[in-house]
Amino acid sequence: MDPLTIDTTKIKIKKNKPVTAIDKLNDTGLISTVLAAREREGLILFSAIDQFFNWARLSSLWPVTSGLACCAIEMMATAMAHHDIARFGMEIFRASPRQADLMFVAGTVTKRMAPRVKKLYEMMPDPKWVISVGSCANTGGPYHESYSVLRGVDLIIPVDVYIPGCPPRPEAWLYGIIQLREKIKNQGYGAKWGLNK
Amino acid sequence: MNPAEEIKQLFPDSVLSTGLQMNKPLAIIKKEELLKVAQKAKEMGFDHLSVITGIDYGSRFEVVYNFFSYIKKQNLVLKVVLGHENPEVDSLESLWKGADWLERETYDLVGIKFSGHPNLKRILLPEGWIGHPLRKDYDMSIDQFVTIGEDGEDVVSTDGSNLLRK
Repeated sequence: MDPLTIDTTKIKIKKNKPVTAIDKLNDTGLISTVLAAREREGLILFSAIDQFFNWARLSSLWPVTSGLACCAIEMMATAMAHHDIARFGMEIFRASPRQADLMFVAGTVTKRMAPRVKKLYEMMPDPKWVISVGSCANTGGPYHESYSVLRGVDLIIPVDVYIPGCPPRPEAWLYGIIQLREKIKNQGYGAKWGLNK
Repeated sequence: MNPAEEIKQLFPDSVLSTGLQMNKPLAIIKKEELLKVAQKAKEMGFDHLSVITGIDYGSRFEVVYNFFSYIKKQNLVLKVVLGHENPEVDSLESLWKGADWLERETYDLVGIKFSGHPNLKRILLPEGWIGHPLRKDYDMSIDQFVTIGEDGEDVVSTDGSNLLRK
């Protein structure tokens, strides 16, 4: 019988404590169907490929180590043990943008810093996401009328999640991170990346 | 006697007036005599030049020098008043090395020239920036953008087409 034609409603899956890796995948709820067909020399795993990819991507977001102003201090607080973003698999702040897939724009983007921020973004490999943190990065904030500050980082790079605050507390950071995870979970396979977003 | 009065006694022709500014002794100096008076202030023990401030009052500029003496634990404020057209005053870089960057900052943001300064160029803003932003007549309607040139230096331009998103 072709595996694609199996009527999954007739298969009763025993709910046990997840032991194997496949069981754990099934337990996440992201994999639509997992079948263990032992008579078929191994395992057959049914899933939508974008769901699987998105699950892998959102589970290990590695941010790039970059901070522009006081919001970066809150970023450090978020990364420390009390708030602990290691729970989301993203405690590894990479020192190189080549190894990162998330950038926190944490702080005031001055006119002089703007081309550097853009370069940093361009150096990150796809797929990549940006969280703009704090009033300054969102809109210019208190420096909106200034001669030297960019009025929002979204003028130069595409932003996925905006976190308001001046600076936002770590709880707000965690909420923003969870929003980004939701966004990645729901995005399609053919999503566009980079400056063409 | 406070140091401002002391200076007035030593240079009665150079000091226009004395007083207090934020409870610190203040002496307003003729701009031609600044270097001579500052030399004396240094001999009086004011070994630290804390900050140089340039202020635009619309019709005139004022440059304020805040001194501190670590020996006597005293403050002294010297002030010069400059005309609005082509403001220029002597540099104090020969007396206090710290004046180098402070004067460059004042030149950068307020546009006051310091004659005798060894390296008077912009320090915060990149070369090529139009105008001095802390002046009252600074044109805020021009949007200026910075990009990185081929040699790694900052390039200022008014069109941000290669920086901004399409």
